[in-house]
Amino acid sequence: MRPLTETETKTFFEKLAKYIGRNITHLIDRGDETFCFRLHRDRVYYVSEDVMKRATNVGRDQLISIGVCFGKFTKTGKFRLHVTCLDYIAQYAKHKVWIKPNGEMPFLYGNHIVKAHIGRVTEDTPEHQGVIVYSMTDVPLGFGVTARSTSDTRKLQPTAIVVFHQADIGEYLRQEDTLF
Amino acid sequence: MDVSEVLAAHKQKFKSVTVEGKLIPVDYDLGLIAAYDQNPVDEIELKDNAQLLLNEIFQLPTVSDDNGIMAMLPTPTTQLPREKPLPKPKPETRWEKFAKAKGIVKRKKERMVFDDNSGEYKPRWGYKGINDDGTKDWIIEVPQGSNPMEDQYEARREAKRERVDRNEKRQQRNLEEAVVAAKMDQRAIGRGQRPNMDNARAMKRKELENQILISKAATASAGKFDKGLKDDLKARGVRRQFAPNVVADMSNEKSESMSILNKIVGKNGEDLVNVRKVEARHKKAQM
Repeated sequence: MRPLTETETKTFFEKLAKYIGRNITHLIDRGDETFCFRLHRDRVYYVSEDVMKRATNVGRDQLISIGVCFGKFTKTGKFRLHVTCLDYIAQYAKHKVWIKPNGEMPFLYGNHIVKAHIGRVTEDTPEHQGVIVYSMTDVPLGFGVTARSTSDTRKLQPTAIVVFHQADIGEYLRQEDTLF
Repeated sequence: MDVSEVLAAHKQKFKSVTVEGKLIPVDYDLGLIAAYDQNPVDEIELKDNAQLLLNEIFQLPTVSDDNGIMAMLPTPTTQLPREKPLPKPKPETRWEKFAKAKGIVKRKKERMVFDDNSGEYKPRWGYKGINDDGTKDWIIEVPQGSNPMEDQYEARREAKRERVDRNEKRQQRNLEEAVVAAKMDQRAIGRGQRPNMDNARAMKRKELENQILISKAATASAGKFDKGLKDDLKARGVRRQFAPNVVADMSNEKSESMSILNKIVGKNGEDLVNVRKVEARHKKAQM
């Protein structure tokens, strides 16, 4: 467990900013408690200072997980967000997509979202923008990246992919052992 | 006839040239036509000081020529500060270091030396000097066991060229080492001493070793499948250093991540997406 280096912080924030933009500030500088990002076995954890200090007593080999896992660094140095961070990024999301009940199942099985399943979209969402996927009852289901901007979507056929799947809460079952 | 009265009357017309005694005597540097008065400043005294200085000048030995009578000024005694800064000490060359260790002292040699052949004094080297290296010989004996067809003049020239080249290489090496030493040993230079060359040599050696290692690894497999030699140079890895996990004040970490965030997202709150670009693309798509 160690703090992130400058380059690591940069790649991490760049990915996170695609979903919540400047709202990362609210994660770094919270009113209630000091939270920090820590790297452990290539995974980035969002931990309160208190928990982090306690975790220093645990050996590196014994420590399995601390706080909330936000994602991991790939071996090529890119950063990949995990669905475990959904609770935080759903709070501060800038662009959202709501899907109809008949589209929930395919998305939760790891498929992309087609136009027919879209219920609502935040206005003026640009292309390749990170979006949070909600059910029509406002339950966050996961996140993805838009394939087209909102205006372009109108011209598309109902079977065309509109949001690329990035992570969904079905992964809690499918990738149980590698997620945290 | 008594003229003392007339003289006295004439003298009365002028102001007195005598000045009352000063508390601290005035220093003169007549070479620079200057007087230094240590007493507290007083306007009237300033005139007196000028008088004192002139009195001193008038006591100097004089010469007279067509231009009139002139006083002979002595050499100035005041030390003026030098105009230019002191030259920086030069780093030792390898030879200087060796000579110091061996106790070899440079001796001054006369420029002219006696030439036995011509029976007169000639410069030690240079134009019409005695150091012609035998190149002015009109005949050279072929040394024992050497190729008789070889041009002995050419061989001499070649030998000399080699000597010069080697010396130039050494000069170059001294310069390179001096640059490194000057960079490393600023403290000694600040004290006006010669920089220490020992570390410079070690540093240059390390630099060379690094270059050798780099060139060695420049193979198709980036050195992965190369067979190493015994006792060969080994690359020393870079030690990574990370920030400490727990510090007393966490606000520093916070501010650092904030500054990184500001760099990424931009100061005025605009996001990663280039709105202008998106708009342009959108317009293009509509057309």
